[in-house]
Amino acid sequence: MSAILNLLRLSWVQLTRHKVRSLLTILGVAAGMFLFTAVETLQRALAKATEETAADTTLVVYRQNRFCPSASKLPEHYVDEIRRIPGVREVIPVQIVVNNCGASLDVITFRGVPDEQLEKFAPEIQVTQGSMQDWKSRGDGALLGEVFAQRRGLKPGDRFDGAGVTVTVAGIISSPFPQDNNVAYVKLPFLQRASKVGLGTVTQFNVRVNSSKDLTTVAKAIDERFHSDASPTDTRPEKAFFAESAAQLIQIIGFTRWLGIGAVLAVAALVANALLLVVRGRVKENAVLRTLGYPGRAIACLVVSEGGMLGLAGGAAGVGLAAAFLRWRSFTMGNEGQTLAIQPDLMVVLSGIAAALLLGIAASLWPAFQAIRQPIVKNLRN
Amino acid sequence: MNAPMIECRGVSKSYRKGSTVVTPLEKLDLLVAKGEFLALMGPSGSGKTTLLNLLSGIDSPTEGQLLIEGRDIAKLSRRELTKWRARHVGYIFQLYHLVPVLSAFENVELPLLLDPMSKKERRQRVEAALGLVGLGDRMHHTPSELSGGQEQRVAIARALVANPSLLVADEPTGDLDRESATRILDLLRQLSRDHGKTIVMVTHDPRAAEAADRTLHLEKGQLLLS
Repeated sequence: MSAILNLLRLSWVQLTRHKVRSLLTILGVAAGMFLFTAVETLQRALAKATEETAADTTLVVYRQNRFCPSASKLPEHYVDEIRRIPGVREVIPVQIVVNNCGASLDVITFRGVPDEQLEKFAPEIQVTQGSMQDWKSRGDGALLGEVFAQRRGLKPGDRFDGAGVTVTVAGIISSPFPQDNNVAYVKLPFLQRASKVGLGTVTQFNVRVNSSKDLTTVAKAIDERFHSDASPTDTRPEKAFFAESAAQLIQIIGFTRWLGIGAVLAVAALVANALLLVVRGRVKENAVLRTLGYPGRAIACLVVSEGGMLGLAGGAAGVGLAAAFLRWRSFTMGNEGQTLAIQPDLMVVLSGIAAALLLGIAASLWPAFQAIRQPIVKNLRN
Repeated sequence: MNAPMIECRGVSKSYRKGSTVVTPLEKLDLLVAKGEFLALMGPSGSGKTTLLNLLSGIDSPTEGQLLIEGRDIAKLSRRELTKWRARHVGYIFQLYHLVPVLSAFENVELPLLLDPMSKKERRQRVEAALGLVGLGDRMHHTPSELSGGQEQRVAIARALVANPSLLVADEPTGDLDRESATRILDLLRQLSRDHGKTIVMVTHDPRAAEAADRTLHLEKGQLLLS
């Protein structure tokens, strides 16, 4: 054990005393891992938003054959009929106003809901700053999702204008559902007036069912109920709705996976190249160590641990910087009113650092083999 | 003569170079006593360094027996040979071959890093080895901060620190000025005389050879009369 620790110390000394070479390699690894983390964050945010689980119990009722919120118009009175359908636990009419219906990195989404129903419909929402009471008492009050507030630098008491709607921040909310953290909740009548759609018309209904097993049957029952109505509906689970309405966004995000793979390969190539150069530069040094009685595996351990340390240092720097940058900028991708917060979580950070470490080790295996395969005498002579 | 430290019986070494077979050593017989300081001389290509490499276990003979302290090292596996080398041989190179980014202390410490010993014991042994070569006050200097003679003394300390019974030196004074060379030779003599180390030194310099107890001449892979 002490021998391994001594070898690790020796590798560390080699790295720290070849500062320029080590820093350049770490910088390259960090750049690759920065890109990898950004891509993984996107992929993970997308997975969270679209992969259905047994805990999902929300349906979205939308106007049939409509995609952008501005085109989906449903009568608000549908709410009572939806509530009567077996399996429905709660339903809330929602008016949605967005600043941009197309793909965008800075989407402002207002959700207008009846103020007396929000807490009942979404009890998981926590007000972290300001208060629910302030929101209820103000006509133009808005409850901002924490990601939205962070991105815009808003706090309770601030006024801001977006998508032609001016509101006063009454509170900041936090929710386990990513969509809630990216939007601004306002009162339904206020938004109906401000967006000029008129009272009595909403964009969609969000429906909570008793169990995830009821999602399909309830969706079918709702669509059948309004099938012959003037405003037929199209009802889908919330995540499926997201997946469909943000299909273009998902396609683009799917493409970024290739960028992630490219970044990983670049990191591996960089570390392997750096270590091959190190091994070539230390042909005699390694031969001397072997003359002193270092077995081949000890030399290989020195090379591999240098690769691992370079990977770890570069990975920690790149992943850490990416996480800090994404958190600072709080990007939200949006398409047709659906938003995707690009926020790194602990899993992405840990897996990024572990990936960098493994890449560093894997990339150094060939250089390590190169370091020990030649006879000592030949290397001493070279 | 003391009990033999080194006994070569019909040792040959040959290798292939393209389509021709080169034989730098051919059926060589040699006896070196324990504690003896032996100088090997001969023209370039005579097989001196090849013999040194065989004695130090970094190369293996293609034929014959090579007994060091009674043990035929030609029969050892690669792994056994590595272990044997770590315990029994100290190698001194002409160009010192110190690790440039490590201090004198760290360079001398290298042979001990794989041994299970406490940090304190390792420190004591390194300090003792550096003290023996007269560099106790240069422990934290890197090779670039030392003269050629001092570098070679660090290399000798590195060869000594694991307390091997056999020291092999490949032209240890070949890259040094006269004064430094004299100091190194005095040191080698002291190691042989006072510490009982068996030393085999390859040299081109007759004055260096004079420091040894015995000088052998090699030519075309064969030993000539001393």
